[in-house]
Amino acid sequence: MALGLAAAGAFAQDDDPGHFEVRSGSVELAANVYFLSARLEYRLSTDARGALESGLPLTIRLEIELLNRRPMWMDTEVASLTQLYQLEYHALTERYIVRNVNSGDQDSFATLFAALNFLGRVDRLPIIDAALLDPERTYDIRIRALLDTEQLPGPLRLLAFWRRDWSLGSEWYRWRLADD
Amino acid sequence: MAIGRRLRSAFYTLLILAGILLWLTALLLFSQVAENSDDFARYSNLILLINSIGVAVLVTLIVMNLVRLIRDYRRHVPGTRLKARMVSLLIVLAITPLVIVYIFSVEFINRGIDEWFSVDVEQGLGNALSLSRAALELQRREHLESLTEIAARLDISDPARTVRDLSVLRRASEAFELTVFSSNNQIIATSSEDPAASVPAYPNDEVIFQLRQGRSYLGPDLGRSGEYRVVAAVLLPTERPTGEFTVLRGIFPVEQRISALANEVQASYNQFRELEYLRTGLKYSFTLVLSLVLLISILAAVYGAFFSARRLAVPIQQLMQATRAVARGDFDTKLPIPTSDEIGFLINSFNEMTQRLATARQEARLSQQQVENERHKLEVILARLSTGVLSLEADLKIRTANQAAGAILGVDLESYVGKPLADAARGRPLLGQLAAVCTEYLDRGVSEWREQITLRGEIGRRVLMCACTELPSEGDDPRGYVIVFEDITMLLQAQRDAAWGEVARRLAHEIKNPLTPIQLSAERLRRRYLPSDLDDLEFLNRATHTIIQQVEAMKEMVNAFSQYARAPEVELSRFDLNELIAEVTELYRHQEHQVAIKLVLDRNLPPVEADIGRMRQVMHNLMRNALEAMENQADARVEIATRLVTERGTNTVEIKVSDNGPGFADSIIDQAFDPYVTSKAKGTGLGLAIVKKLVEEHGGQIRLANGGRGGAEISILLPISQGGGELSNDTHHDHKRERA
Repeated sequence: MALGLAAAGAFAQDDDPGHFEVRSGSVELAANVYFLSARLEYRLSTDARGALESGLPLTIRLEIELLNRRPMWMDTEVASLTQLYQLEYHALTERYIVRNVNSGDQDSFATLFAALNFLGRVDRLPIIDAALLDPERTYDIRIRALLDTEQLPGPLRLLAFWRRDWSLGSEWYRWRLADD
Repeated sequence: MAIGRRLRSAFYTLLILAGILLWLTALLLFSQVAENSDDFARYSNLILLINSIGVAVLVTLIVMNLVRLIRDYRRHVPGTRLKARMVSLLIVLAITPLVIVYIFSVEFINRGIDEWFSVDVEQGLGNALSLSRAALELQRREHLESLTEIAARLDISDPARTVRDLSVLRRASEAFELTVFSSNNQIIATSSEDPAASVPAYPNDEVIFQLRQGRSYLGPDLGRSGEYRVVAAVLLPTERPTGEFTVLRGIFPVEQRISALANEVQASYNQFRELEYLRTGLKYSFTLVLSLVLLISILAAVYGAFFSARRLAVPIQQLMQATRAVARGDFDTKLPIPTSDEIGFLINSFNEMTQRLATARQEARLSQQQVENERHKLEVILARLSTGVLSLEADLKIRTANQAAGAILGVDLESYVGKPLADAARGRPLLGQLAAVCTEYLDRGVSEWREQITLRGEIGRRVLMCACTELPSEGDDPRGYVIVFEDITMLLQAQRDAAWGEVARRLAHEIKNPLTPIQLSAERLRRRYLPSDLDDLEFLNRATHTIIQQVEAMKEMVNAFSQYARAPEVELSRFDLNELIAEVTELYRHQEHQVAIKLVLDRNLPPVEADIGRMRQVMHNLMRNALEAMENQADARVEIATRLVTERGTNTVEIKVSDNGPGFADSIIDQAFDPYVTSKAKGTGLGLAIVKKLVEEHGGQIRLANGGRGGAEISILLPISQGGGELSNDTHHDHKRERA
């Protein structure tokens, strides 16, 4: 095991550790449905970029949770939504492909930057029907983005388990769900 | 308790088996994970956890065992060294092959994985990819040309016509979709091969950016199902204000065959690149799995070493403890038989051995006790024996001596045990003479001999029948001797007495027979010739008178003999001995020659039980003996003394008659009591013989010696009471002892 750790250590050589961050988020009510818009910053770590360029698909997870705020008590989760995006490099066409796993839509980009930019824009994503919420209560919404290591192939997953470079994820970004 | 232990042991075994099973499963799963199987993805952490727990448990067990071993080692618990040696041996035996296999496996895997990714393969795949790209590029160029042509022919001033034209042109160019967008991303006209297709997607920023720079856009694109398409976009010539433009975008299918091939090349290339990227990860995973397997195997081996060493050492430890116990003499140890293997056999043999030892010891103790008893009995017998037994070491030190030996020789031999015989003999004439005889024989090298020895002591002669024999030797120990001797003085005396009695009886008989005719003849001579007057009448008278007188005297003598030989029954009565003595001596006070008779009588003398007639005869004989010995002596004196002697609880009366006569000659002193032994001119020689016989009939004892101032001294010891058979026996016994 010590040997394995040493090997893992050798892997990480003063590289970019990567950075995921939720920059902003907002919710709007239209036709009695809440829509989420958010801006996120994705910067892949050197390891993750290397894997991507070697043809490994990366999965990015956008987690959205709706919480019921209760004074003096723990918050309860009312609803949760997970969006999965797959980012892949296509060697033949030399393009980065972003695929929304939930909807099946895909788009291709000449650069990784363009692809990540595209990923960082969440526009009008329907979250929940307003009818499902109790107007008397106060709700919070929080989102975060993660690099989903569970979808990685076995050997890499083992590596990812030990290495910080692979545990990419943003903090929760939380705000109050306003009725408007 | 045994059942509980067995249950617990079974439980532990089950637990260990379950642990091993779990661990193996975890390892298997782990290797599955490492082999890129997504099904086990979410278990990887669990598997790692199980393995970690296994490692922790094993490490704990090993540390506990190690601590115990070190503690035992410091305390010098028996068997710990053996256990430590076994543990280290087993560990070395188990770990060495493991480590070798591990090193080779890691090396093999690393090298093997590296070899998969040889440069040639990568190069080939890269070239194939380039070729595919070139083929696609060719198609794309063709489609761009046809799109440019379409753009030149298309008129967008009338939207309705545009749509119609577009449809015609699309079919002619075999395009999949043709769409005209305005600069504000509005669709002006579109035509698609699939009328049911959704609204065409807007060209993305990249397309717009390139078009704005005045270049046409040409790019490959992938359909939803992964098929290749060519996307081309050109600006349409227009008369709109600057900043606004119209875009014609065409999506063309790629030839089916090329698309499939390109897909395959892409897939292969991708797979290869992926694998190459994962190479380090794979190596890492394999190494990790192997390391984990090695670690757990080593830990299991170490624990197994402890476990089996304990299994092996426990019976040996028990055996050692039991052996120590046996060495201490505790034969009751019984060991439990652990297995039916050689150790079990050993323990079984040990148990049998201890049992046999115990039995043997028991038997030895019994036989020792028997021997002890025998010895004790023998000692008692020896002590009660009238025969003297004296055992000597080879260097003539006294080993043992019984009471009789001491009594016969007049020495307390028991206090000389362990001392040289010569020391004990110093100043003791009897023992000295005996020792001299023994030494003489032994000096001559004769160790087996038998001889009748006559010892001369202060009080008369002692005749010993003496036999010496060599003691059986024990190994190389110097041999010893045992000397057995018996005081046969009395026996010889009795034999002599009996012989004399016989002689006396026969002589009396033989002499008596002719006496009567002689007497009768002499009387007839007198009767016949005395009335006649012969010249020699006076002579005849004297002669016959002498004959008759002498015959009478001879008859008396013969009667005396008879009396000696055949004594009448003893008639016991109780009388005062002093009175008797006074009475007897009174008769001698007024006799012809004056003798001074002095009586020293003990006033406290109790009455004596004896035959008064015989006692009187004893006194007469003794008086006569004394007087006759001093017949012509001027100041003859006789002293008679009595006193009470209490010896060993028996009361006896001592009568001592001493005179101031010539005493006994040395030549006859030993045979003074034999008949016809006399130093006097007168006397039958039977006086003292009869005295002795009478005294002995009363169970008494007689001794004679020459007194200190000259003259004879005869002392008689007489038991006060005859008291029936028992007392008589007792007296006889005591008498014998005193004699000895």
